[in-house]
Amino acid sequence: MRPTMIWVVASKELLSTFRDRRAIVSSLLIPLLVLPLIMLGLPFALASFFEREDATVSEVAVVGLDNLPEELRTQLEQDETNEARLSLVKIEPSESPTTLVREDQYPVVLEVPTTFSNDLSTNKATLKLYSKQGNVRAELIASKVQDAVNAFRTNLVAERLRQVGLDENVLEPVNVETIDASSQAERSSGLLAWLIPFFIAVWALAGGQVAAIDATAGEKERGTLEPLLTSPVRRAEVVVGKFLATLTFGLLASLMAIVGYVVSGLLLRQLFANQLGESGDVIVSTLGGSLDVSPLSLLVLVLTALFLAALIASLLIGITMFARSFKEAQSYVAPLSFLFILPAIGLQLADFFGQNPFIYLVPVLNALLLMNDTVKGRQELLPILFTWLSLIAFTALLLDFAYRSFRRESVIFRT
Amino acid sequence: MSVIEVQNLQKSFGTLKAVDNISFHVSPGEIFGLLGPNGAGKTTTLRILSTLLKADGGTATLNGLDVKKQSEEVRKTIGVVNGGMGLYDRLTGLEVLRYFGSLYSMSKVAVDKRVKDLDDLLHLGATLNRRCGDFSTGMKQKIVIARAVLHDPSIIFFDEATNGLDVMARRAVLDFVKQYPDGKRTVIYSTHIMNEVEELCSRAAVIYGGKLIAEDTVTGLLEKTQTKNLEQAFFSLVENSGLAKEVTL
Repeated sequence: MRPTMIWVVASKELLSTFRDRRAIVSSLLIPLLVLPLIMLGLPFALASFFEREDATVSEVAVVGLDNLPEELRTQLEQDETNEARLSLVKIEPSESPTTLVREDQYPVVLEVPTTFSNDLSTNKATLKLYSKQGNVRAELIASKVQDAVNAFRTNLVAERLRQVGLDENVLEPVNVETIDASSQAERSSGLLAWLIPFFIAVWALAGGQVAAIDATAGEKERGTLEPLLTSPVRRAEVVVGKFLATLTFGLLASLMAIVGYVVSGLLLRQLFANQLGESGDVIVSTLGGSLDVSPLSLLVLVLTALFLAALIASLLIGITMFARSFKEAQSYVAPLSFLFILPAIGLQLADFFGQNPFIYLVPVLNALLLMNDTVKGRQELLPILFTWLSLIAFTALLLDFAYRSFRRESVIFRT
Repeated sequence: MSVIEVQNLQKSFGTLKAVDNISFHVSPGEIFGLLGPNGAGKTTTLRILSTLLKADGGTATLNGLDVKKQSEEVRKTIGVVNGGMGLYDRLTGLEVLRYFGSLYSMSKVAVDKRVKDLDDLLHLGATLNRRCGDFSTGMKQKIVIARAVLHDPSIIFFDEATNGLDVMARRAVLDFVKQYPDGKRTVIYSTHIMNEVEELCSRAAVIYGGKLIAEDTVTGLLEKTQTKNLEQAFFSLVENSGLAKEVTL
C-alpha cells in the first residue's frame, strides 16, 4: 500500500463530506450545540421551576378546615422561619375532593374528618390528601403538605414522650452515617464517566456513517466507483483511505459532542449558579461533572477513543460497501446503533462485572468500561492491554473483511 | 502487431453467459467498434479489458500487458468514458480532475497544464470552477471525457458514451472521438447506435447474446450481408447467427 494514494483517497472523501451541509449540521453542529443544551438545559429549567414553586405560596383546598387543629394549621401555612408556605382555601363538605382535583380546580385537596381532633387523642387520626400522581406541580405542593404534617407529628410525638418522662431520642436508638469514600476523580466525573464513552460510541457511529455511506454506497449510486477502480489506485488503498475518512469524521463528531457537553456545562454553571444556588451545583456536578485525570490517563482515554472509533469506522465501511444506494446503506446501518447503545446502557452495571479482566476482550463494551474506569481514576495494565489488543484485532479483521468484499465483483457491481 | 488482443474471452454471471468465447484484435491508432444491443455483452467485455471484472476463461492483453496478471499496469495505460457520467457532486470539475490526476501520480503542475490543453480541446470553461452537482448532462460528459484522457492514455474505451446526451453534446462527443486519437491512440467504441459506428469506426465487431457474430470493416460487414447500412447488416447477421430472439415491447 502506498501512503500517498491512501491520503489522496481519504482527503477527497473528507473534502466531499465537509461540503455536505446536512452532514455538518447533523454530525457536527447538533452534537456541539443542540444536544448539550437539551441535556443540560432541561434539568436546569426543571430545577429553576422547582425552586420557584418552592418559594411560591401555593393554594391548597381543605374540606373540613374548621376541624384542623390550630397548631397544624399554623404548620401548614407557615414554615419554621414563619414564611408563608401554603394558602388554605376552605371548601364546603358537599364538594367532592376527587372531582375538584380531577377537574383541575385545585392541584391538591386536603380532607380533614370531623372526628380528627378526637382521633388525634387516640392516635388514630387520618388526613386524606388528594392530588394527581405524576403531576409534578401537584406532587411538589403535596410534598409541602406532607412536610408540614410530618413536622406537626414530630412535635406531637416529642410532646407526648415528654409527658411520660421519655426523651424523643428514644425513638431513634441507632443511626447510620454514610460517608462518600470515592476518590476526587470519581466524585468530580459525574455522569461524564458514562457520557464520554457513550458519546464516543454513538457519535463515532452517527458521524462516521455519513462519511462511510457517501464513500461506499454513494460511489456506487453516483456511478463514480467504476472510474475510481479503473485508475491505478489499488483496492486496499481505496478501502484504507475511505476507512480513514470515516474514522476522522466519526472522531470529530464525538469530539464535538464532548466539547459541546463540557462547555455547555461550564456556561450554564456560570449563567445560572446564582439563580439556582446549591441545586445548580448539584445538577452541574451530577450531569456535567469535570474531568480530573492525569496526563497518562488522558492518553489512555484518547487512545481508547481512537481505537473504538476505528472499530466503528471499519464496521461501517465493511457493511455499507454492500449497499447499492444511500437508502439501502442507511437501512443496513440503522440497527447498528443497538450494538453501541446497549453496551453503553450496560455500562451502568459496570461495578458488577468490572472485576473480571476477560470482559475487556469484548469489543465495544471493553472500550466503554475502560474509558469509564479511566475517567473515574481507576487504571490497571491488564484491562488496558486486553481492550486495546481486542479493538485493534477486531478492526484489522473488519478491514480485511471490507478489503475482501471490495475485491468481489458481486459487491462492486451490485447495481 | 495488435495493441489489443482478445482470445476466447468468457464470463458468466450464474447461469448467464455474458461473454461467450469472444476473440478480436485492435491495431494501433484504430477506432474499433463494439456493436450490439443492450445486454449483448459489450460492457462486460470492456469491464474485463479495464480490469474491473475477471474473465472466467480466455486471455486479453493491452499493449502486451495481461489484464488479469498485470492489472495495475494495464490501468495506467487506459482511459474509460461511460454513459453513467458519474461525478462527485460536491467537487468542482477542476477538483475532480486534480483528484484523478493524483490517482495517476501526476503532479499538480502537470495536471493543471494538461487541464489547460484539454480546455482548448473540450471547451471545459465554466465546468472547471463549478460544482459537478450543478452541471448539465453535456457539462458532465465533458469532465468525464477529460477525466478519462487526463493522463493521456494510449487506449481509450467509450462505452455508450452518448447515452442521454442532447444532439449538441452528442455531436461534441462524436467529434472528439473522431479527432482526438489522431492515429496515435487506440479506441474501442462500444454502442448500440449503428450510425455512430458507421461514422467513427474503421472496423467493428458485432456482439449478440454474449457471442461475437461478426468482425470486419464497416464496408466489409455491408458487403458480407449485402445490405445498405449497418442497421440492416446487424439484423441480417443476427438472423443468420441463429441466435435471434423475438423482441417484444
